[in-house]
Amino acid sequence: MNIFVASLVFYPMLGALISYLIGKKSKKVRDVFACVLVVTEFIAVIACSVNAFNYARIISMVSNSVIPGESLIARYAYVLDFKYMLPEICGLGLNFSVDGFRIVYALIVAFMWMMTTLLSPEYFAKYRNRNRFYTFLLLTEGATMGVFLSSDFYTTFIFFEIMSLTSYVWVVHDEKKASLRAGETYLGISVLGGLVMLMGIFMLYAATGTVAFNEIPSAIKALMVDGNMPATIIAAGICMIFGFAVKAGAFPVHIWLPKAHPVAPAPASALLSGVLTKTGIFGITVITLKIFAEVDAFGYVLVAIAVATMLLGAVMAIFSTNLKKVLACSSLSQIGFILTGIACLAISGGESELAARGAFIYMVNHSILKLVLFMSAGVIFMNLHKLELEDIKGFGRKKPLLNIIFALGVVGIAGVPFFNGYVGKTLIHEAIVEVHGVPGYVEPCFLLAGGFTLAYMLKLYICIFWEKNNNLELQAKFDGMKKYMNIASGFALIGSVVIIPIIGIVPNITADAIMDIGQRFYGIVGEEKLHYFAFHNMKGSLISIAIGLTLYFVLARWLLRGKDANGKKCYKDYWPAWLDLENVVYRPVLIKFIPFISGIICRVLDSLVDGFVVLLRKTIYVERKLPYERPEGNMITHYYAVVVGFIVKILNATFLRNKPVNVDFEHKFALINMAGRENGKMLERTLSYGLLLFCIGLVITVTYLLLVVFL
Amino acid sequence: MEYIELIPVCAAVIFGLVLCLVPRKAFGKGKLALHLVSLAGMLVAAGLTVWAMNYGGHKCEHVYFELMKGIPIVFKVDSLGCIFAMVATICFILAILFSFKYIDGDNRYYGFMLFTYGALIGLDFAGNLVTMYLFFEMLTLLSFPLVLQTKTHESIMAALKYIFYSLTGAYMGLFAIYVLYQNTTTMTFVYGGTMDPVKMAENTTLILIASMAALIGFGVKAGMFPMHAWLPTAHPVAPAPASAVLSGVIVKGGVLCIIRVVYFIVGSANLAGTWVQTAWMILSLVTVFMGSLLAYREPVLKKRLAYSTVSQVSYILFGLSVFNKMAFEGAILHVIFHAFIKCALFLCAGAIIHETGKERVDELTGIGKKMPITTVLFTVASLGLIGIPPTGGFISKWYLAVGALNSTTAGVLKFVGPAVLLVSALLTAGYLLPVTVKGFFPGSDFDYEAKENKKHEAPMLMWVPIMILIILVVAGGLFPNVLKETLETLATVVVKGV
Repeated sequence: MNIFVASLVFYPMLGALISYLIGKKSKKVRDVFACVLVVTEFIAVIACSVNAFNYARIISMVSNSVIPGESLIARYAYVLDFKYMLPEICGLGLNFSVDGFRIVYALIVAFMWMMTTLLSPEYFAKYRNRNRFYTFLLLTEGATMGVFLSSDFYTTFIFFEIMSLTSYVWVVHDEKKASLRAGETYLGISVLGGLVMLMGIFMLYAATGTVAFNEIPSAIKALMVDGNMPATIIAAGICMIFGFAVKAGAFPVHIWLPKAHPVAPAPASALLSGVLTKTGIFGITVITLKIFAEVDAFGYVLVAIAVATMLLGAVMAIFSTNLKKVLACSSLSQIGFILTGIACLAISGGESELAARGAFIYMVNHSILKLVLFMSAGVIFMNLHKLELEDIKGFGRKKPLLNIIFALGVVGIAGVPFFNGYVGKTLIHEAIVEVHGVPGYVEPCFLLAGGFTLAYMLKLYICIFWEKNNNLELQAKFDGMKKYMNIASGFALIGSVVIIPIIGIVPNITADAIMDIGQRFYGIVGEEKLHYFAFHNMKGSLISIAIGLTLYFVLARWLLRGKDANGKKCYKDYWPAWLDLENVVYRPVLIKFIPFISGIICRVLDSLVDGFVVLLRKTIYVERKLPYERPEGNMITHYYAVVVGFIVKILNATFLRNKPVNVDFEHKFALINMAGRENGKMLERTLSYGLLLFCIGLVITVTYLLLVVFL
Repeated sequence: MEYIELIPVCAAVIFGLVLCLVPRKAFGKGKLALHLVSLAGMLVAAGLTVWAMNYGGHKCEHVYFELMKGIPIVFKVDSLGCIFAMVATICFILAILFSFKYIDGDNRYYGFMLFTYGALIGLDFAGNLVTMYLFFEMLTLLSFPLVLQTKTHESIMAALKYIFYSLTGAYMGLFAIYVLYQNTTTMTFVYGGTMDPVKMAENTTLILIASMAALIGFGVKAGMFPMHAWLPTAHPVAPAPASAVLSGVIVKGGVLCIIRVVYFIVGSANLAGTWVQTAWMILSLVTVFMGSLLAYREPVLKKRLAYSTVSQVSYILFGLSVFNKMAFEGAILHVIFHAFIKCALFLCAGAIIHETGKERVDELTGIGKKMPITTVLFTVASLGLIGIPPTGGFISKWYLAVGALNSTTAGVLKFVGPAVLLVSALLTAGYLLPVTVKGFFPGSDFDYEAKENKKHEAPMLMWVPIMILIILVVAGGLFPNVLKETLETLATVVVKGV
């Protein structure tokens, strides 16, 4: 069991390095190796889960106390909380935990990696640097697994940072200008978020002395004065939320998400949208439950952020005309939905079963849905290498398999009854209605955003699968494309898509079981089962669908369409190009303005002492000309020349009468002197020359002393 | 063995003298003989250092003779000195290995490397203030020729600046030593300080001023604001392996002197909560921010790394200034990890310059395709410096920040400090990662077939030393607790009365 947990994290990481080495020799073998690796990882996670449940069964059998929970699975999940520690690693040691939530998410991570890796060989067939991509794909799998399995913030942070950096490589993989720029934003904001989070962890650890999820609430309770939380803890919580919100893509630090997700290769986009954003949600959930459980205001702030994210993403999605951009903005919006659920949980003081279960199943559903949708987008891209709606319009005609897969994704994410998205949406909607104190603006916004979801998904679906391309030749070519994906890719898509109706049609068996397993993590012992298909529960969904259809016909089909060069109707992006938080605010302020101002200050500080020295040399230590300067040479050379000249004169008169020496000594010595001065000038004129001489003396003294000792 | 501490110093000096005084011709035409002698000298000195460290179980203390009455020359091997000496030894051996391909068979260069190493070991093993001061001066003078190595006008001016700043600092230190001499019970280093309590109470202001002078004075070598400006001038002009030891190890000489004065003579208890502590913290934080911001705006790679040293060494000084056990441990850890990381970074820069001749960061597009191993190593080193787990830089930052936050005497600066450290880490990412990003992701229009972009890795003798350093950094990050016991014991006895 113990070794199992650690190996779930380190096995893919090790495999990444091996796959790199294999890839140097043979690309085919590497592809197979990577697929085998992710499949075995998935099997290992299943084995680990089965093993964990087995333990839980034994524990629940020998336990004397009554274990709450209606179903067997809920009772097992209640006792399921295994810890595993790798002591001493990285100082504090790595702490992992296996509970219901972790099992579900480990399964999803492994499943999604398996499916995307199966799609990858075909998708990347014509790419450069594939070896790099596979290496970082597998590294990130291990890191993501580490984040979800972690049971203290220290471990979370370590894997979170690794995950942020390794996933950067996905974003910039094709190295186009847009990718590099999006990657820059992603890297910058990831590092920023990571460091802010680290600051929060520092403060939390310094104040409470612990980073373990389970120990934090009691540690905080011990620090409370009159029921008030110390300011440092609140600051710590906010810092940490910031860090996780960056990864989740919550407003206003969402800026990287709509740029990075579309430019990444489709398998990577699926993972970025489906799993990596959820690590952010995971962190926010933990902080909400463990740190801010007692702070009332927190839920209201979070709900405002959630609603802003939800609506912003929805509006951006309906404006966009790029397939993957729509899906990315949709992710943004869906993150808002999940955060709404968590906010309701916070407002209810951590007691609302509906909110907790809703947020959880929504996360699960969204992961699966984005996997399906991004992989479908990937199939379209690998055939056409285009993503703009006008270029791919009509591609899906006469391709029933892709049509059905995409359609299931659409109805799933739009929350249509009998498909998986409906379950989460209904639960969160019920929570908004039932939890006391949720602000009044939340419900209409929720229904509206739900409507938008249907509208922009319909826009995609009808455009790609039903409308004919404006260019009829192209349409004919599209219709001729019968073999648009290979068996592995098809298996990946079908294998992912079947989950949508399974959860949607029999939610009382499937969805409830998933929630029963996961709810312990939220501190909930839920008994409440919803009649999902009762009319009063479906009402919200039906309202959303009605709004969605209206929005589709009014916005997507009427207002947001223009005419192309040939006068045919086409989808146009009316979103003003300048309206981009990143370009308007973040980049100018963070990259231009602040470094510029602080640059000036720092430059001044930097040259303080140098400036002082220069000042001295211009004033006190100024170089003066000699008072009685000679045309060449100086006094010494002059007298020396006179003396030598006199001697030579005598010699010429006596010994050297045959070969007299005729040299202008005045000039010669002056030249020698000048050369010497040139050489010595640099040293001589510096203030430090004197100091240097002193030190040479010092060294000689010390050497002498050392000699005295030894001799 | 009475003179055990001096033996490695003498060995280094003797080999250095041989290398300097024997004419270049005597080593034959090829470089092999010269390299063998240098390496032998280095390894012998290193071996003797290790032997000296283990000889007395970190407890040796020898009074050699009295310089004047009451001013003895004392050597002492304690665990602090051992840590510094060990770091210096590793970095010097690897830098000398790297030099073989980088330096064109210059015997004097190797001679002065050995001299510098000897002086550094002497400094690490010095047992009282006067001995320490002697070796501190010697270190300055003997490392001076390393900066002069290229003999260009730029390097001469830089070397003069170096010596001017260092000597100014040394004299400030000397002033402090005069004052402290009057007010201590002994000049020998004792855990927790040796101040005479009666005199301390009488001359508090003077002693505090002297401590501040010592901090700024010895801080010159550590590149602390306001006397840091020599560092970004002098380090980049030296040949890369010399810059590596200058930035990685020799600046730590200043750190050691500060630790000795503050924690072994004045005593943390006497400084905690005074204006000296506040000023020290502020100066170090200003340095941290300024260094990294100027590095961020600096286009020349080696100069960028030098500014980075300014910033990073002040992480250490900040850790020392908060007077907290954990922060102290963090500071020592950062001494170790920064030495390895900065050494590795400078060596990488050297390898890049050696192979491509490119010095500016914006010229390095596609360097990852040309020199993959070097660039990967550079990347890991960068991550270490930013403090991304699981590298050593993360561990030291963890200790530094949590220690600072737990400090009882730091006031509001205990929150400002970690925040500044993290802002600086962000800037570190900003100035180091572009090399990696541009190097590995040159853009889709990059010409893979062009001649200048063909794979052309640095020779093995260059990247193997870097790799060893990187392995040490990552291993240190994964298993930092190897050092834990030593550091905890040290911190407990050193940080007293706070």
